[in-house]
Amino acid sequence: MNSHFFARRVHSLTGIIPVGLFLVYHLYTQLYLHQGAEKYNEHTNAFYESPLAIWLLIIFVYIPLFYHSILGAKLSIEATPQPSYHYFSHLLYWLQRISGIGVLLFIFAHLYNTKVMPLMTDTYGQHFEHLAEGFASAETGWLTKSVYLLGILGATFHFANGINTFCMTWGLALTPRAQLRVRVLSIIVFVLLTAVALYSLSAIW
Amino acid sequence: MSNKTITFKILRQDGPNQPSYWETFVIPYLPNSNVISCLMDIQKNPINSEGKKVRPVVWECNCLEEVCGTCTMVINGKTRQSCSALIDKLMQPITLQPLSKFPVVRDLAVDRSRMFEALKRVKAWVPMDGYHDLGPGDKILPDHQGVAYKLSECMTCGCCVEACPQYSRDNNFLGAAAISQARLFNMHPTGKLIANERLDSLMDDGGIAACGNAQNCVEVCPKSIPLTESIAEMGRQSSKRFWKTLFQI
Ligand code: HEM
Ligand code: SF4
Ligand code: SF4
Ligand code: FES
Repeated sequence: MNSHFFARRVHSLTGIIPVGLFLVYHLYTQLYLHQGAEKYNEHTNAFYESPLAIWLLIIFVYIPLFYHSILGAKLSIEATPQPSYHYFSHLLYWLQRISGIGVLLFIFAHLYNTKVMPLMTDTYGQHFEHLAEGFASAETGWLTKSVYLLGILGATFHFANGINTFCMTWGLALTPRAQLRVRVLSIIVFVLLTAVALYSLSAIW
Repeated sequence: MSNKTITFKILRQDGPNQPSYWETFVIPYLPNSNVISCLMDIQKNPINSEGKKVRPVVWECNCLEEVCGTCTMVINGKTRQSCSALIDKLMQPITLQPLSKFPVVRDLAVDRSRMFEALKRVKAWVPMDGYHDLGPGDKILPDHQGVAYKLSECMTCGCCVEACPQYSRDNNFLGAAAISQARLFNMHPTGKLIANERLDSLMDDGGIAACGNAQNCVEVCPKSIPLTESIAEMGRQSSKRFWKTLFQI
């Protein structure tokens, strides 16, 4: 086993286990948006009360995500476009790469919007108000909303399709029929996660 | 005699590492012709569309029935065998290009050595240690035979790697064909003896980890070889070896 093989297997694992599960958890917690500002802020801030919270985030989210992004971006750049082959899986292959890079950009914007800016203006903790104000802004509201919409679609697509390629990489689904079943599963995951996320956002749209 | 014609746009190259250029040929229409028969016509009378006599176009072919794979080229943008490319089913002008993933020898003839090197890397053979009588081989069950026969139809034509976005001139990816052949020989009762050696090659640089699951290979394979199944199967075998290496060896 050489280092590239190892790196790719770790890349595949990090996409599902820490980062993917975090995405599911993160989208779930956004459902609190429907319970109003107080509940939402209370719940979000409660997570950080644990002295372990920040370390858990660094070890299980930031480091794996950083690793996955760096290798993912490298893989995306190295691919050779084959524009004359119009097959569905080939389209998914490119969407996987484009959504990955899109999600990376979104994460930066999202961190700035929900962490850096509130910390700079000393208003950290009022998560609900920040989000709602950003969405309601007369000048930039449309932009914020579009960025969130694209970011969420990108993340749910990337994760759902990633389940598909994860099963290929590790050889979990062998026959074309098994691969079709996994594809159906990934479509269900995509629809469900996207629906949950859009429903959450509708609270402040 | 109809005055219909067939127009070809051919990407030509005078020799290895020479610049390439397009040349157009217009030849009289013959019913039921294929790309090879037209190339033969051009060879007999190599006059381009400007009326200039030029060097005949070079290409390779052998079986003329889609089993040897040598005549593979890019026809109207898609990789396929030219012997089975029927003119009546092609849009004109018909463009012919050499496979883009291999060094061009001349015109449409390319050097596909890299594919054969890949077969060597994965030891796509049954190991033998002499010519002495080894007795009867192992029994093979019909369902095993059904899978193996399909895999054994690979003609190393190069379509799968031509369409693959992960296979490029400057990397060392084995490609789908070699991964599938590793599967074939790993399931053979005697070939199995060096299964781990094949897995080690697949888990080395440019091995199975270089595949990005675009699945173009399985779409373009003229032999309908279940390449993504082979890739998943070898992914599974290398996953087992991966965990074993981590915890045992
Ligand atoms: C932030 C920037 C990201 C980039 C640039 C990126 C890039 C990529 C790329 C190129 C692949 C395809 C690997 C392949 O199949 O060869 C991939 C796979 C994957 N990614 Fe990401 N990704 C990013 C973020 C994420 C996030 C946030 C998640 C979790 C939701 C995620 C989950 C996955 C999964 C599950 C796979 C499938 C692994 C496999 O093929 O076995 N990625 N990523
Ligand atoms: S696997 Fe199919 S496409 Fe690839 S070389 Fe063999 S026959 Fe050709
Ligand atoms: S699945 Fe895609 S990346 Fe993998 S060998 Fe086939 S075409 Fe190439
Ligand atoms: S000449 Fe053998 S496949 Fe075309």
